[in-house]
Amino acid sequence: MAFVAAGTVVALFVAIVCGLVIGPTSVPTWRVVGDIFAHVGIGHNTLTPLQSTVVWTLRAPRMVIGLLAGSMLAVAGGTYQGVFRNPLADPYLLGVASGAGLGATFAIIDLSHGVGTPTWTPLLAFVGAMAAVIVTWLIGGRSIRSNTSTLILAGVAVASLLTSAQTFLQQQSSAGSITRVYIWLLGSLASAGWGTVWLVFPYVIVCIIICVGAGRALDVMSVGEEESRSLGVPVRRVRFIVIAASSLGTAAIVSAVGLIGFVGIIVPHIVRLLVGTSYRRILPISVIFGAAFLVFADTIARTVIAPSELPLGVVTALIGAPVFVIILSLRRPVPV
Amino acid sequence: MSSVEVNELSVRAGNKTLISEVTLAFEPGTWSTIIGPNGAGKTTLVETIAGLRRPSHGAVSILGEAITEMNERERALRVALVPQHPVVPSGMSVYDYVALGRVAHHGLFHPASPRDRAVVESVLERLSLVEFRGRDVATLSGGERQRMVLARALTQSTMVVVLDEPITGLDLRHQMNMLELMKSEVHECGLTVVATLHDLTLAGQFADRLVLLDRGEVVIDGPAAAVIRSDELAKRYGMNLRVVDVDGADVVVPVRHGDNVNGA
Repeated sequence: MAFVAAGTVVALFVAIVCGLVIGPTSVPTWRVVGDIFAHVGIGHNTLTPLQSTVVWTLRAPRMVIGLLAGSMLAVAGGTYQGVFRNPLADPYLLGVASGAGLGATFAIIDLSHGVGTPTWTPLLAFVGAMAAVIVTWLIGGRSIRSNTSTLILAGVAVASLLTSAQTFLQQQSSAGSITRVYIWLLGSLASAGWGTVWLVFPYVIVCIIICVGAGRALDVMSVGEEESRSLGVPVRRVRFIVIAASSLGTAAIVSAVGLIGFVGIIVPHIVRLLVGTSYRRILPISVIFGAAFLVFADTIARTVIAPSELPLGVVTALIGAPVFVIILSLRRPVPV
Repeated sequence: MSSVEVNELSVRAGNKTLISEVTLAFEPGTWSTIIGPNGAGKTTLVETIAGLRRPSHGAVSILGEAITEMNERERALRVALVPQHPVVPSGMSVYDYVALGRVAHHGLFHPASPRDRAVVESVLERLSLVEFRGRDVATLSGGERQRMVLARALTQSTMVVVLDEPITGLDLRHQMNMLELMKSEVHECGLTVVATLHDLTLAGQFADRLVLLDRGEVVIDGPAAAVIRSDELAKRYGMNLRVVDVDGADVVVPVRHGDNVNGA
């Protein structure tokens, strides 16, 4: 456990350095590392003004939003898997993705007058995502007799309804806007600046803290709703709080960077295979591992076919799936 | 004061009445077993006592306090449940599973205290589970697993323990072991045990008192030996039952093909 924790922290540090160092403008690694220390008050600036602009204005916000997105999606996925006691749960389970997709599509197709991606796309995506989760909850989560299966099924119904609405909008629109919608849906950190970082930062930090804090409750809830109630856990309240936190955080991330798949389902599973089934370990390690993983993936996405970029969701799946398969073949069966 | 009081309790699901105006009181240091045919409402009754179901009418109170007035944690400090079909969370160690019983004591945001750990150790010791502490719960046999679930309930350190068919699926020796373990806890710690059991012989031998439930109503309530021998028992089960004395123990034997349902 200590070994895994130390390993993920090292991986995180390496990912941060890679995120800042690698790119078309070459900046020596030692200078970047020196400048990181200078920023926390140790030593002097080691970068030229040009290098400083490239590293701290272009690469740093993109790296930071990658950290935030990776940790939030990973911890939300782990939390969902715990609260639903379902290994296939991911942060998009209750309709966040389809809600955000519909919101963004509406913004791009109906409000853009045929050109560009309007600035309120993130806002509409966020509203769509939250509305979808709230509707899912109202259908499947409120009633005293509902259980997690009801909620999952409500999520499936809401998601398919919103996706079909989105498909309809796309079908009615021009080829150009369909392409822009498609690019948005694939997810990218390219447009992230410090403004985006500060916008999502408060949501994401609060939501991550809530999810990680729920670890012990999720451990108890692995014996099912009735038994955990008899052990003293207010199951319905815990479920409401962690679903609200995971969904809010995920909605904030999705509205900023689009739909990045795979991190939320695969990172918690990799972590679980390494540290066991306790959510008190899975969730905090997922926060760090998810952050490192996504920054690595983004570094690859923006460099392999530079100056063009690979969609981030494609890269996360391309790296994540083989890594997962390797670990899975070494350690089985999958515990949940 | 009775440790558990059930007062004119009715429980309905939809428009079906599962429990109808049941009034019972259970005393500290006693073992009471609820018996009755399938569908009599036994599980509903004990689940309501454990606070998992809300009464439609009437009340259940534990140590003088109404169960509906407590939150989950307060309730878990007063009554523990051994469920009929416990969920086995594969990947969890036996120690961690048994320690779940202490969550109500240390809370969801604090780690186990030295006292919590001492309680878990002592229960593992008493139930001969020490050698299994590091094992994955999914790898235990049926008997070991039931003992582990009982251990979790005992670490809750409650005065009231509810057992819902605790010996389902165990072989005879493990059935006896499990009930003996519980019986010694009742004597040593002055627990109040409310159990449901299908096996009438074991019910008669281990309980101080039997309550015969049928269609949600209490039919007979009394000392085990008297209830076992009552005509009403055979009638409610709709079959021919005989009670045989074997070395001073009552053994209930079903007799096939009897016209006289009231037994011999």
